[in-house]
Amino acid sequence: MSLPDFKLLRPRTLAEAVELLGKHADAQIVAGGTDLIPSLKQRLFTPACVIDIRRIAELRGIRAVPGQGIEIGALTTLTEIEHSDLIHRDYPVLHEAAKMVASPILRNMGTLGGNICLDTRCLWYNQSLTWRTSCGFCIKKDGDLCHVAPGGTKCWAVFSGDTPPALLCLDAQLEIAGPAGTRRLALRDFYTNVGDARMRLAKNELVTRVFLPERTAGYRGVYRKLRLRGSIDYPLAGVAIVLKRSNGHVEDVRVAVTAVNPAPLLVRGVEKALVGKPVSEEVATAVGELTARTAKPLTTSALTPEYRREMIRVFARRAVLEAARK
Amino acid sequence: MKKELVELKINGRRYELAIESSKLLLDVLRQDLSLTGSKRGCDDSSCGACTVLVEGVPMMSCTLLAASCEGQEITTVEGVAEHGALAAIQKAYGDWGGAQCGYCTPGFMMTVKALLAANPDPTEDEIRHALSGNLCRCTGYTQMYEAVRAAIEAEQEAGSRE
Amino acid sequence: MVDAAGKTTGAGRYTDDLTLPGMLIGKILHSPYPHARIKRVDARRALELEGVVAVVTGKDAPNKYGILPVGHDETALAVDKVRYVGDNVVCVAAVDEPTAEKALELIEVEYEPLPAYFDLEESMKAERDLIHENRPHNLEKDYHHVFGDPEKGFADADCVREARYIANEVTHAAMEPHSTLASFELDPHTGELGRLTVWSSTQVPYYLQHKLSLVLEMPMSQIRVIKPLVGGGFGGKSEVIPLEIIAAVAARAAKAPVKITYTREEVFWAHRGRPRTIIDMKIGAKRDGRLTAVAARVVQDGGAYCSYGVVTILYSGALLGAIYDIPNVRWDGYRVLTNKPACGAMRGHGTVNVRFAFESQLDEVAAALALDPAEIRRINLLQPPCITVNNLRVTSYGLPECIEEVVERSGWKDRHGKLPRGRGLGIGCSHYVSGAANSIIRSDMPHSTVNIKIDRDGGVVVYTGASEIGQGSDTMTAQIAAEVLGCTLQRVKIVAADTDLTPIDIGSYSSRVTFMAGNATLRAAEEVKKQITSAAARKMNCVPEDLVFRDDRVFKRDAVPSAPAAGDSSVVAGHVEGQILRGSLQQKRKEEAPKDWMTFEEAVVAAIDFHGALTGTGSYAPPAEARGGSFKGGGVGPSPSYSYSAQVADVSVDEETGEVTVHKVWAAHDCGRALNPVSVEGQIIGSVWMGLGQALEEEMVWKDGLLMNPGLLEYRSPSSIESPEIEPIIVESIDPEGPFGAKECSEGSLAATIPAISNAIYDAVGIRLREVPFTPERVLAAIRARDATAKKLDLTEGVDPTAPTRFREHGGALWFKGKGPTRHAMDPARRAETTMGGDD
Repeated sequence: MSLPDFKLLRPRTLAEAVELLGKHADAQIVAGGTDLIPSLKQRLFTPACVIDIRRIAELRGIRAVPGQGIEIGALTTLTEIEHSDLIHRDYPVLHEAAKMVASPILRNMGTLGGNICLDTRCLWYNQSLTWRTSCGFCIKKDGDLCHVAPGGTKCWAVFSGDTPPALLCLDAQLEIAGPAGTRRLALRDFYTNVGDARMRLAKNELVTRVFLPERTAGYRGVYRKLRLRGSIDYPLAGVAIVLKRSNGHVEDVRVAVTAVNPAPLLVRGVEKALVGKPVSEEVATAVGELTARTAKPLTTSALTPEYRREMIRVFARRAVLEAARK
Repeated sequence: MKKELVELKINGRRYELAIESSKLLLDVLRQDLSLTGSKRGCDDSSCGACTVLVEGVPMMSCTLLAASCEGQEITTVEGVAEHGALAAIQKAYGDWGGAQCGYCTPGFMMTVKALLAANPDPTEDEIRHALSGNLCRCTGYTQMYEAVRAAIEAEQEAGSRE
Repeated sequence: MVDAAGKTTGAGRYTDDLTLPGMLIGKILHSPYPHARIKRVDARRALELEGVVAVVTGKDAPNKYGILPVGHDETALAVDKVRYVGDNVVCVAAVDEPTAEKALELIEVEYEPLPAYFDLEESMKAERDLIHENRPHNLEKDYHHVFGDPEKGFADADCVREARYIANEVTHAAMEPHSTLASFELDPHTGELGRLTVWSSTQVPYYLQHKLSLVLEMPMSQIRVIKPLVGGGFGGKSEVIPLEIIAAVAARAAKAPVKITYTREEVFWAHRGRPRTIIDMKIGAKRDGRLTAVAARVVQDGGAYCSYGVVTILYSGALLGAIYDIPNVRWDGYRVLTNKPACGAMRGHGTVNVRFAFESQLDEVAAALALDPAEIRRINLLQPPCITVNNLRVTSYGLPECIEEVVERSGWKDRHGKLPRGRGLGIGCSHYVSGAANSIIRSDMPHSTVNIKIDRDGGVVVYTGASEIGQGSDTMTAQIAAEVLGCTLQRVKIVAADTDLTPIDIGSYSSRVTFMAGNATLRAAEEVKKQITSAAARKMNCVPEDLVFRDDRVFKRDAVPSAPAAGDSSVVAGHVEGQILRGSLQQKRKEEAPKDWMTFEEAVVAAIDFHGALTGTGSYAPPAEARGGSFKGGGVGPSPSYSYSAQVADVSVDEETGEVTVHKVWAAHDCGRALNPVSVEGQIIGSVWMGLGQALEEEMVWKDGLLMNPGLLEYRSPSSIESPEIEPIIVESIDPEGPFGAKECSEGSLAATIPAISNAIYDAVGIRLREVPFTPERVLAAIRARDATAKKLDLTEGVDPTAPTRFREHGGALWFKGKGPTRHAMDPARRAETTMGGDD
């Protein structure tokens, strides 16, 4: 399968990249390529121009910012995050999530920025042009109907990144660069929960850095991923949790889900259920119920939605207990 | 589409090529350079048969644009044999059943080469995890672990003789 | 392995690695409809595209073919109808892949959609719009066999168990996508296109040659098929796959070499995998565990073409026999056509799904009779040599030892039924043929023939039609030749699977190569050896019976050194010296007095001087007494020998998630004699592992004839992470007819793995899964069904995996729901259709 024709641009600096983005309205950005390249083969995109940002050295690496937390360049690979002692020590939930992404080879290529900006996925969408022609096109690409929720007008393609639920739990902020300069945005405000317009990022902008606040450093964390195969797979459901305890009681907690909605989502109400209490089987079960209520899986993926939602419940309950044990 | 001049460094040699900027590294290796050792097994970046090393790091050449690799050192399976002789890992895979049909083998060679470069004496669990990005349909992976062990032993033996 | 270096260095060539000067790339346009009549094909715009050389359609090669003589229902490209999404319609040959792909988008095909059939039981009710007009009720074939008196057998039984089992569809997923390169030569006499050479990823080069001849209307003598390295087959390349013919048709039209390599999605459409199967199984047994009768109704969803279907369905019945002593059998088999890619032969052909049902139910019978599952299998062992009730001849039979080994090594007696909740052991047994005793095209032709040529250089060249596909065929051949001739392996060169050079061999399928091509090699080598012996005996002044071939030398019996001279190459004359030197060396030796040993090369030269050319031929045809009964369908199942396997699986089940972890599988396999233990172990492990994939993860998911997971990302072949330790245990029963006693080792172990895991799950958590694969949702649904107290959830969309009734389709909705794509107004495909109308 060859790729559609496009012009390849290879900026060396962020400023160059921003300038190119301003000039080429329908450009696609490629970094690790693990999301975009297979989609190009399937003709999900036919951009006139592709901007390869791999050479922009300033967007690589993990740096501690004293008094503030850490800063991770968007081009930092998932392998680098997996092997970072700093992240392992201070933000263990991100370490866990990063090492669960796809496979070792794909983590060598895939970047944190790419994992955050991952296109939403659906069995009716991530298919070849021939397949989609046979099936009839869907609302996310070339059509105006949804095979997952027939009759609806919303796209339910599912967000399938592993690290964003962990980053949400850690209160991550994004730095976004564009022609108008750079802006900062809380990750929780980045996603729309709409499958075919998944993020609040203008066509001429790119995610450049991720900031993790010092406040959440040292929070215990657990990431649980549902997959059929032990490697390579995207999550079919995922739960991340971070927890801070003092004197045996929960002082702060956050839970987020992935792969069951068009966006990774923080679960509302877990603070109320947990803060000020010791972790017990009972509160863990309550968090499981709350988390399952946030999950709205549909037939976008392998395994039945009912099962995936059930696993969100089980994983969340177990993750609370495990995070407390750590 | 108009072609562009791209200079690639592959297995220590420089190649100047005129290629479309949308051309994948795998296709350039196989079609333009006749380095057909790297294989295409899937179209969705899942199988790892096309794995090459980019600056020593295993990556899928079916998922890399050739032009994006300009200026980087690329090693393919053709670059694994040392001084025209089988590398220890190649010998061991052949002797211990690590390769049956052989189609996934070039990808595994690259993964194992990178693993042993970073970690000369991995545990079985580390080997198992390192190999988890390459799919094999013949061996069930079991004999590969034996082959990697045998290669490590051969390397250690060779090292102690020196 | 003799061919390992090419594989580990990347130097070895697979079909897609080949190029020829002026070679074009072929791409195929596939049907978007599951069932439709082709009204019109317009490829004018594609032909106008720069770089497009030829466009071919069904009309360019309308002759029908199929792997079975009773199933000639395929054409290279669809002639009047398409029968599944992915059926082949048009092929474009262009200068490169992007051009060919662009050309496909310019081809206009007008279809008239027809009602399509996706569910096998629905399909059997069809009265009209049949998939093939000559197959009423879309029934490819049905068979009804009765052996003994099953009614009496069930009446005599103290315990009868009956249930429906469902096995979902799986595919080979060999790592190499199919590829074919076809090239014509110009005939020097006519100046027109003459001979055809085809390089192809095939397990059956000679069948390919035959079918090409049929479709292209060329004599077989004008067609040469060469099999380069093949990246795995597992049955998926054991018949002629559409691209193999299409490439030749396109090359003929383009008057240039054409290579077609499938995309992974096209591989899934070409398919020929293991069919979705419904098995209604009934087993009766006496109180002491002895089986009294077995009844099975097997319905296979064969897809749109016959392929190997008739054989697959027959195997599902025939191999109920030849493993246990079953006095009475009733079997009804139905092979049904549906509008999906054709199913065919896959590792363990026809036996796997039925074995899952049988071995699972046998455990239920054991439980009902309070017998140990290993014990009930021992109670029902055959007493070979014997002929089974369905006319299968069983000679060597290592099953008792296999059971003993796995029971011993797994600690079965102390662990089965005694492990903590959530952990369990399960046992399963299986068997397979060592080649079919009757070939596909019935004839008296030997199934394998091998030629050996030895020249003055002492190089042993073995010409065999057997196809190396990764299973070790070439290594086995070299080993047998070297063993007979007492020479080193380095001396032996294998020339294989080239129809111009090698004598006919029917192919690498049904685990026939070691037994049949191995026997042919053995015989050819013995014939050559006889010639060398007679010449050497004259030189050494002794009788031929007195000579022993060993370590690259020929000894008088009483002069054989007690310890082999391994590594002592200096004594082997000619090993170091070059070709020319050797002549004078031989001259010198001639003048010496008779000695008590000669080098292999000296003996060879003596033989050539004495006989002229030194060649030998050996062939193998299965003995008449192994060819089975004369009843309808009796030709499938008989084999000169059967392999046996017993396995124990050790699993954990997470009762909250339904996730099954296989910790270890002990697999004992009776392979007759292990000619190459590393290779045999590799085959056992590979089979068990593939069974594990089918048991836990692999499943082709359908929605109204559309495959939802046509790629290796969504069709999950296990990764190294969840692949358990598999301990292969070689059991050698020394078969009386196999080469050095060897028989099959590549397929027989697969079928036992699935029931071993299912029985282990039962031991762990007390649920009886009757639908495979045991995905976590199915396991959890079964656990929830067991615990009436727990919250019931519809985890598998209305199908209870402990009592399945029908196949589950993927959720969601296809816009056209089986009526053919009534396209939405905004659909670009429809917009294109509208403009197209305006052009006419």
